[in-house]
Amino acid sequence: MNASEIKKLMINSLNKDADTSEAVRKLENEGVSYDFSQNFGNKVINKLLTAGLTVNKEVEFVKYMNFAFYRIALTGVAAIIILLISIFFMEGSLSLNSFLGLSDNYDESIICLLTGN
Amino acid sequence: MIGESYDVTEEQDLVKASLDGDKRAFGEIVNRYQKMVARTVKGMLGDSVFAEDIGQEVFINLFYALAEFRGESKLSTYIQKIAVNLTLNEIKRRKRFFSMFSHKENNEMHEYDIADNDTEEKREAAEIVNKALLAMDPKFRIILTMRMLQGYSTKETAEILDLPLGTVLSRLSRAQEQLRSILIKL
Repeated sequence: MNASEIKKLMINSLNKDADTSEAVRKLENEGVSYDFSQNFGNKVINKLLTAGLTVNKEVEFVKYMNFAFYRIALTGVAAIIILLISIFFMEGSLSLNSFLGLSDNYDESIICLLTGN
Repeated sequence: MIGESYDVTEEQDLVKASLDGDKRAFGEIVNRYQKMVARTVKGMLGDSVFAEDIGQEVFINLFYALAEFRGESKLSTYIQKIAVNLTLNEIKRRKRFFSMFSHKENNEMHEYDIADNDTEEKREAAEIVNKALLAMDPKFRIILTMRMLQGYSTKETAEILDLPLGTVLSRLSRAQEQLRSILIKL
């Protein structure tokens, strides 16, 4: 096929009712064909395997983080409970003053100190 | 049941096996459709290393989207849609990138490869087709790619491009007009 025939084929392939499969066949015969490199399939599979390993590593990391979080959270909760119990036994209540280590006497002492009486 | 070779295995069985993590079955899907994807991607982007990367991305996206494939349409149509979307996104990305640095579109990206052993006539044919394709507006280029390189009917083109049939018909005639004016200069 010469240049003008190729051009005509291209233009005709855009006709509404054109037999496009015929155009494809003719163009392929004229060496107009497209393909990827020879080991394209292997490259895709290798990329998928690498992506899979990355995802697995990410999943493992999240698992370890969750495990560590639960351990830290449980230890923290246990420490808070022990602290509350010890405050209760030492101060006799769980009021805000008990938490802050303040007693009524202490408040009065501050007032005495400030007023000088 | 899938045997040793996947050559004659049905598409649905290959999809199932791929979903079960069989990379060999997915490899067969890649083998069957890589040429089809190459025609779309290289027709739209030119024959460059970037086109090969986009081609790989098409199949990687397909692998992760296989679970959503219900088998209502052909697998080839499903793959073609992914290829078209990724290619058009790449064209938009390039346009944005080059508009930041230059007022002219970068023609260096428009490469194409012609085999050394081709005859002069074949070389000329490939050159005309590639030059004309890359000179076209992307929305018309995709229409020409679907028709001339893939051999799709108007209806199939509309389905793949997710466009109403009327829009495809009007783009066909406008693409033809543009192609005529490009081919005069070649």
